[in-house]
Amino acid sequence: MVEGSDTYFLRPNHQLKFKPAIVKGYIREIVRERLSGVQYDPENVPELTLSLAESVKDKVKSSGFDRYKLVVQVLIGEQRGQGVKMSSRCLWDADTDNYAEDVFMNDSLFCVVAVFGSYYY
Amino acid sequence: MEDYLLEEKTAFVVEEVSKIIKDSVETVIGEVSYKHGRVNQWTTSVVEQCLIQLSKQGKPFKYIVNCIIMQKNGAGLQTASTCFWDNATDGSCTVRWENESMYVIVSVFGLAI
Repeated sequence: MVEGSDTYFLRPNHQLKFKPAIVKGYIREIVRERLSGVQYDPENVPELTLSLAESVKDKVKSSGFDRYKLVVQVLIGEQRGQGVKMSSRCLWDADTDNYAEDVFMNDSLFCVVAVFGSYYY
Repeated sequence: MEDYLLEEKTAFVVEEVSKIIKDSVETVIGEVSYKHGRVNQWTTSVVEQCLIQLSKQGKPFKYIVNCIIMQKNGAGLQTASTCFWDNATDGSCTVRWENESMYVIVSVFGLAI
């Protein structure tokens, strides 16, 4: 983690702000690459979700959002005609913090990835 | 140089948060059966209730609350999360709850300020 070095910046510089559009692009790319043509298999799915989350987290970390704490949530479910609803709410500083999400579907599974970034003052 | 930190950094307490989540879900949903038209309202209410109770605690935390409601249909569901944060002060709590017609999974992530 960022070694509590004090920067005294209460707001990130515009270049260093969490940019949802860019992160959404990363998520889309990674998910499409890993899940296209994959069938829902209860044996593989646990490690697939975890490794997908790790890949997304590493990608976002390496793109320069240095002072941001990240939470990446991945949801993979089987498509069987059931109804699903996922919703989030956050108590944070709307000026500095933000999130990005993407949904992917093929005929046997659906996948939702959400990345939340919170500025570390 | 003296350290001007007056309070200790508080840590995320999992048991308290878990209790808050369970109470919120019981209050909002309880024994009702899955209705597609009401799901929107349920997720919003569960998440809002959790957030209200969490902020009442008055701790210096930013919160992310996530709620998933799925109809029981025999289908499989898997969720995973990974975080880049300070292990000493930040934490998460996930509660899985079910009734006869649906599964509810609520995750709360607390990030210290």
